[in-house]
Amino acid sequence: MSKVRVEHLTKVFGKKSQQALAMVKENKSKNEIVEKTGATVGVYDASFEVNEGEIFVIMGLSGSGKSTLIRLLNRLIEPSSGNIYIDGEDVSKMTKEQLREVRRHKINMVFQNFGLFPQRTILENTEYGLEVRGVAKEERRQRAEQALDNSGLLSFKDQYPNQLSGGMQQRVGLARALANDPEILLMDEAFSALDPLIRREMQDELLELQQRVQKTIIFITHDLNEALRIGDRIALMKDGQIMQIGTGEEILTNPANDFVREFVEDVDRSKVLTAENIMVPALTTNIEIDGPNVALQRMRKEEVSMLLAVDRKRQLKGSLTAESAREARKNELSLKEVIDKNVQKVHKDTLVSEIFNLIYDSPTPLAVVDDNDRLMGVVIRGTVIGALTDIESKDETTHEGVTTNA
Amino acid sequence: MLNFLQQPIPVSDWVTNATDWLTNTFAGLFSVLQTIGQFVMEGMTNGLLLVPPLLMLLIVTAVAYFISGKKWGLTAFTFIGLLFIYNQGLWTALMNTVTLVIISSLVSIIIGVPLGILMAKSEKAQSIITPVLDFMQTMPGFVYLIPAVAFFGIGMVPGVFASVIFALPPTVRMTNLGIRQVPTELVEASDSFGGTGKQKLFKLELPLAKSTIFAGINQTIMLALSMVVIASMIGAPGLGQGVLSAVQRSQVGSGFVNGLALVVLAIIMDRFTQNMNRPKSNKEPKTAKQKKVITGAIIAAIVVLVGGTVISSMLGDKKETVNLAYVEWDTEVASTTVVSEVLRDMGYEVNMTPLDNAIMWEAVANGEADGMVAAWLPGTHGTQYEKFKDKVENLGPNLEGGARLGIVVPSYMDVDSIEDLSDQANKTIVGIEPGAGVVSAAEKTVEEYPNLSDWNLMTSSGGAMTTELANAVKNEKEIVITGWSPHWMFSRYDLKYLEDPKGTMGGEESIHTMVRQGLKDDMPEVYNVLDNFSWELEDIEGMMLEIENGTDPVQAARDWMDAHEEIVNSWKQ
Repeated sequence: MSKVRVEHLTKVFGKKSQQALAMVKENKSKNEIVEKTGATVGVYDASFEVNEGEIFVIMGLSGSGKSTLIRLLNRLIEPSSGNIYIDGEDVSKMTKEQLREVRRHKINMVFQNFGLFPQRTILENTEYGLEVRGVAKEERRQRAEQALDNSGLLSFKDQYPNQLSGGMQQRVGLARALANDPEILLMDEAFSALDPLIRREMQDELLELQQRVQKTIIFITHDLNEALRIGDRIALMKDGQIMQIGTGEEILTNPANDFVREFVEDVDRSKVLTAENIMVPALTTNIEIDGPNVALQRMRKEEVSMLLAVDRKRQLKGSLTAESAREARKNELSLKEVIDKNVQKVHKDTLVSEIFNLIYDSPTPLAVVDDNDRLMGVVIRGTVIGALTDIESKDETTHEGVTTNA
Repeated sequence: MLNFLQQPIPVSDWVTNATDWLTNTFAGLFSVLQTIGQFVMEGMTNGLLLVPPLLMLLIVTAVAYFISGKKWGLTAFTFIGLLFIYNQGLWTALMNTVTLVIISSLVSIIIGVPLGILMAKSEKAQSIITPVLDFMQTMPGFVYLIPAVAFFGIGMVPGVFASVIFALPPTVRMTNLGIRQVPTELVEASDSFGGTGKQKLFKLELPLAKSTIFAGINQTIMLALSMVVIASMIGAPGLGQGVLSAVQRSQVGSGFVNGLALVVLAIIMDRFTQNMNRPKSNKEPKTAKQKKVITGAIIAAIVVLVGGTVISSMLGDKKETVNLAYVEWDTEVASTTVVSEVLRDMGYEVNMTPLDNAIMWEAVANGEADGMVAAWLPGTHGTQYEKFKDKVENLGPNLEGGARLGIVVPSYMDVDSIEDLSDQANKTIVGIEPGAGVVSAAEKTVEEYPNLSDWNLMTSSGGAMTTELANAVKNEKEIVITGWSPHWMFSRYDLKYLEDPKGTMGGEESIHTMVRQGLKDDMPEVYNVLDNFSWELEDIEGMMLEIENGTDPVQAARDWMDAHEEIVNSWKQ
């Protein structure tokens, strides 16, 4: 028995919807349909099931209709046609009162920009769902505080949303939904407004939470990595239509069509890879200015045991290991005297295929330099192996139109 | 089609008929509203006046200090500004204006905020209401005075009615805007938790739109204030009357003082409402104690006002009130002031209401004013008398003969008759208020005399006309004016009436006293005084000149009464 079942769900915005739907069937693009009819197809003929306790991710580029789809599930947007069943009850046929009950007890939502009420404190925000339900003040306080405590925000309960960081605000948004103890959580790009580090943290938190609470979560994102990290199953959307539904592995191994294949490719296949495409920023030390202490300090901070040595003009001079830096410190030598001048250099336009052979022989990363011998970055083994998997599956494309982003 | 273009559409008739229909159909409702409104507002004014001015001044200053977050600028301004108003003797007028503005604003808010909510919630309502608001805001405020008088007569209530129409739109617009500006995501959040429309409105939309709504209310208060000034033309009491009479009598000084008092009031009201809307810098939620104090203060203020209303209505008016209407012409200021002073000596409360000519007649006819001593017959007010003679009681002349209208020029001009006019004075006759009798006569004159066919009649006001005259005489320039006697200008300058062979300006006139029907039974004493009141040309001209030379009208009336005790006593018989 699936928790949520969606059948042939369609939403067209604007007038002339019949004409627009006819054009969708002919596989016309969204732009064409808008130009012709003035109607926008938000979602077309979506059907899927979500099982109890799974995290179901809906993924797609912006404009693919994923936000519309999630709002159709709790009828913030009224569907044009199709049915939504929650626990076997058809939501799309419900009266206002029945729908209100469903929203109050079964299905809650977390928003991209947190959707917190600026004039209410964190606690008042958290208890909002219980408040509109008419739960007595004492009880809702207690439950809201419990939810905040679970997300480690209890001490902020009397603050206002604008006094909190983005990550904290989104935790409040989540706590607000969870305080209601719903069976289904809708998350609309919940982590997209956060910076990457916080984002990872929140993803981990969500997975951890899911271990404990076992909710049915419908999660929307435009980020493939996010989808792969948290999704039990993934649905991929394009122009309002679902292209493929499956586990991350299935989608990566058997893409249903070219669109999916392109979407899941990390690398742009139109490019012939060169050193420049796969290099990462180099960690350097300027031997004309820095001394051994500075170099060691940087190694500690970056958690590496080696730096590339450059001069003022970023000309590559060699490499510096932690041992040689320590030696320099002990014997009061300058860095110039202890660097290893033997560094493997490659030009930025060198093809990846040539780099393979070089990198196996070289203990140090390869330094990538430009025409003036200035250091641009380094190539490390990991990236080459990543690139290698793509190259092998790649047809020999032409060398025309090779672009480099100088 | 051509027919249609040649025939003017009788829009004016339609509007007149519609207004008449409304006036007759809802007469009961209007009079109930008028009674209630009058009672509430007079009570409130009296309540405000019960508080000694200096105490009130200190209270308002203290409120200014706390409301502005303990800034000294506003506090000092409030204190000095109010002290200035008190010092100029405008305190009563100020309290009247405050009452009018507060009631107008309250009514506007009570109507406007729900209307704004309705607009925000319904596209249809928005498309219907928006053009109506545009119409309300761009129609000159004066226009609203006309139906206001038809519905509610003269006094405070029509003033409020006109102010509300004029001042309502900003509150409605800003409420609508504020609610529509609430971010979609928040509205969705409220909906997604199963909040009802009502919960969404009170928990989310109104709190978030509060500051926008307050900005609208602030605008509404400012508009109400400006409209209250205009409404003094139909008898709304307060500072506006001072401004209006200064305009009509061209008194720069007194106009400036009254205007300044209004500026002070406007700035205080503006800053108060803006500061109420200040976002709290430290977002500390109000403690229960603070809430109690605020609620207590509000309740206390209401109790004071209501209590003032009740107390003043209970012990105050043991005195009977006489309402005298008059026009702001120097003749009528003189005679009406004298009559008022006599009645006050007899223990009556007297309200002198300056009105426009036509409205003055209407007020007496409707029984809103008890009487007037300013009816010029047979010529000047002939039309009005025709219209209202069944509804007023004519007590006969209070100034026999000597009164006349005419076209007046300085003696140095070498014209003696209207027929001699050709191209003097830029072919312009300087007139007074458009509604005045002498202006209608002059219009007829311009039509009747062929040599005046291309002349202009430029209307202004009594005061503006005398100022023009003074400038012309000083520079020995040509000027042609609509003049009348008795008037102090004849004592001050060397002027002459032009002969009027066609008699269009009317002959000798008398000034009559008119009272409402039923006055004889209601207030026999007052009726008697009005019936007996009559005096001579030199009496009135002497008093007018004294007023013109800067004596306060009341003082001038007192001086005259002291000098003519016998005459005054004969009126009281």
